[in-house]
Formats: sequence, C-alpha cells, structure tokens
Amino acid sequence: MNRRQLIQAAMAAAAGMTAWHPLASRAAGAGGRVIVVGGGMAGATVAKYLRMWSNGGLEVTLIERNPAYVSNIMSSLVLTGQRSMSSLRFGYDALKTRHGVKLLTDEVLEVDAVNGSVLLASGQRLLADKIVLAPGMRFDLLPGQTDPSRMPHAWSAGVQTEQLAKQLAAMRSGGTVLLTIPKTPYRCPPGPYERACLVADWLKTKKPGSKLIVLDANPDIVVEKDNFSKAFFGLHANVIEYHNNVEISSVDEQQMMLYTNGGAVHGDVINLIPPQRAGKLIEQTGLATATNGRFAPVDVLSYASLSAPKVHVIGDSSATTQPKAGHIANQEAKICADALVRYFGGLAPDPAPVTNSACFSTITRTQASWLTVVFQYDPLTKTMQAVPASASASAGWNGDNFDDMNQWFKALMADSFA
Amino acid sequence: MQCKRFVLSGAAALLPFLLATAAQAQTTQVPAGRLLASNCFQCHGTNGKGPGFERIAGKSSLEIYKELKEMRAGGEGQGLMTKHALGYTDAQLRELSQWLSTQR
Repeated sequence: MNRRQLIQAAMAAAAGMTAWHPLASRAAGAGGRVIVVGGGMAGATVAKYLRMWSNGGLEVTLIERNPAYVSNIMSSLVLTGQRSMSSLRFGYDALKTRHGVKLLTDEVLEVDAVNGSVLLASGQRLLADKIVLAPGMRFDLLPGQTDPSRMPHAWSAGVQTEQLAKQLAAMRSGGTVLLTIPKTPYRCPPGPYERACLVADWLKTKKPGSKLIVLDANPDIVVEKDNFSKAFFGLHANVIEYHNNVEISSVDEQQMMLYTNGGAVHGDVINLIPPQRAGKLIEQTGLATATNGRFAPVDVLSYASLSAPKVHVIGDSSATTQPKAGHIANQEAKICADALVRYFGGLAPDPAPVTNSACFSTITRTQASWLTVVFQYDPLTKTMQAVPASASASAGWNGDNFDDMNQWFKALMADSFA
Repeated sequence: MQCKRFVLSGAAALLPFLLATAAQAQTTQVPAGRLLASNCFQCHGTNGKGPGFERIAGKSSLEIYKELKEMRAGGEGQGLMTKHALGYTDAQLRELSQWLSTQR
C-alpha cells in the first residue's frame, strides 16, 4: 500500500464513522473552527459568509500565500492596455477588519484530512473542525515546455499576464498570434473565445495585417456559440482563423512552434492555455478522484469531499456539473458557508440549493455580450442541473453590455472581498 | 388565508425540519430564503445593498416578487434578468423576495 492508498483507506474509514451532525461529539451551540485554504473568489467568499452568517460565532482562518488576490476576470483587458494590473488587485483588509476573518499569509504544505489539520510552511500546525480547500487551478506543462514565460497562459492573472501583454506589444505588424484552448473542463468556458475577440480587435488597429490563429482542442466552440461564431467568422474574420479538434502534442520554445495533430504551427506570440487540474493540495491529499484524477468530487449540498468529510472543496478544484468560474465559485462558497453554519448548529444542509452563473464577454474593446444560467439541485442524480429556460446569451453584443460588465465586476468583487 | 399562506410558504416548508432539530440546536437560526437570495448578491451587492446594479434591499416582498414575475414574462425586454428570473420556481421567487424585504 503506497502513501496515497493509505490516506484514502484512512479517509474511507473516517467517512464511514462520521455522520453529518456534529452533536455526537460537540456541545450544542458551541462555535467551531474553520480553516479556509486559498483566498481567491471561492475562498474569500466562504470566509466572509462563514463569519457573517454565523454572526461571528465561527472562528475562521484564511490561509493565503499572496498578500492580495489578482482577478482573472477582466485580466484580458490588460493585454489590450485597457486595464492596469493594480485595478485587478483585491486585498484582504475588509475580510479581516469588517468580518473578523483571521488572515495568515502562509502556505499550506500538507492537509491531514482525517484529523482536520494543516501544516504550514512556517512550521506551524493548525487544527480545525472543518477545512475548506479552495486552491484553484494548476496548469499542465506540455512536452518541451521548460520556461512558461516563453508561451504564457496568462490564465492565472499575474506575472504571465504582464509577459503576454509585453510580447503582444512588441510583436511586429503582420505577425501571427496563436491562442490554444484546452479540452473542457477548464477555467472560465467563454474566456478564451472572448480573449480571442478582444485581441483580434486590438490587432486590427495596433498591428495591422496580423493574424490570430485559435487552436481549440474541443470539437466546437464550447459556449455562447452564436455570438462567438458571428464574431470569429464575421466581425473578426479577417484576423481570426479558427481550428477545432486541435490537440497540442509538444512545443518548441526556441523555434516558437506548436506540434499538433494537424501539423506544426509557428507563432510570433503564443498564448498557450494548457489543460488544467485542481490545485496541488487536492491531489496530494488524495481527493482528486474525478475527471481522470484531475478534480475533487463533492456533495453539492455542502461541498464536502466525498472521501474526506472534514474537508470541503469549492471553486475550480471541485468536480461538479457547473462551470469553473469566479461568479459561480462565489455561489458555491455561499452554499458551503450556509451548510457549515447549519452543521455547527446541528442542522442538515439546505436540501434544494440553487446557484447561478452570469458573465459578460468582450467581443470588441468597447462592446460585450452576456451569458447566464441558473442551476437547481436534482435529488435523483445528486447534481446541479441547468434550468433550460434560464440558459441563455445575449442576441449579439453592444456598448451597454460593456458598461454592465464593469458594473458586474465591481459588484462581484465587492460581494467576495469587501 | 390564501395570502398568509403564500407569504409563509418558504418558512412553512422548513418548519417541520426546524422543529425536529430545535431540541438539539439551541442557537442556530438560518432564515428561510437567505441562501436563495444570496444568488442576487453577486450583482446587487451583499444583502442586496450594493454596490452594483439596482439596490434591492428595503423593497417590499410583493414589490420584488412582482418585478421578478414581470421580468419572467418578458415585460422588461430580453435582458439578462429576464432569463435569470426563469431559473427559479415561483415558490423560490416568493421565498427570496420575502427574505430580501427584511433587509433595510
């Protein structure tokens, strides 16, 4: 039995023994301790709502290695010079001062999912009644990739966003940009398509004669097909060249080449968005057992891990039927917070949770489309199911939607971080 | 009677469950509709109090419910909220409207 099997066996045993109700082992009405790992959209929101909805009764410690969160949402606008990196930074002051979240700027090295503790890089070991993991995404390195800055994904906003922006700015007119889209599930389904549209619009005026080749590993545009088709094959047809079913087998960083099932392709700038998987802690803790070992299966009534009941997994790292994106991660966090508040009070989770996704996509530098869907819990399949009548996109794009996008971003970030 | 039942429908559905567990849980109170209504917060601010789109806290339950029903019917164009409002059952719209009306 190797280490992972050992962990899984121990967790399976724990899962069998531990009921949802804590009162067998806890005094009624007592507070509880919750550790939240990761201060992104999901982690920040769950920390805030745990404090708010327990009326300060739960002790919540948020562990995040960075001093501030840098938003992925809106980060493609850094590539076109329309947004600064500082406009994407969200600190944790409000969580601390307004909501009483304890913040530790530290890194979690190890999670003990059975006993409920985490080991920090600083050497400290923290105990908790519940641990919420929200470590986001990890990006695969493709064969031949040694220096991620050569072909940045810029799919986790930060240094790679700035690198890609610089590479685009330095490219000659008449150059070729490659943008790759991995197979689903990946973070933010419309994201790569909206980035392609935005960059194409920018290339038209800033780098005349340039081309943007989109290499999509999926059989078709995965979401908002009407709008993106009209944009790719109409509005931006003189810039965008779209290829479906393209898988990248390896890369050559020196020659700036991608080797694919459709042949070799050269790019002056390559935005390589690779396949994605749950944050490292998820796999290391033995929780990544869904989606070919990439994501953590959870009970969507509470986001409790199916193999380690003391641990909850929210946001991009969890395997659910919902898209991996910030807006829905925020709602998953609220369901998890509500379920934990109930748990510590001896109540079962809400039996019929609802989540929603809503977002805007840049089609040009001044116009946007929108996309929305509501998910209802289906007790038969124990999954969140999209309500068909609610699943819809705007008919086309316009400037009002672009203004709404800014409004939406402001509201969403405030609901998560302030 | 009819009217009273409609206002209480959200809480009433949870009542047996709350009673059953009340003996164990002395302090926990989870207001009916709060989690549902939190679906509004991403765009209308935490507890519906902004920043963001139209402030919804402080309106009466009936006002919010009527507006959502009107949106569902397409009375306010084919915007995002028209589609969004179609994602909830009538009972859910009543329940979340009721909770939002408690926010001042």
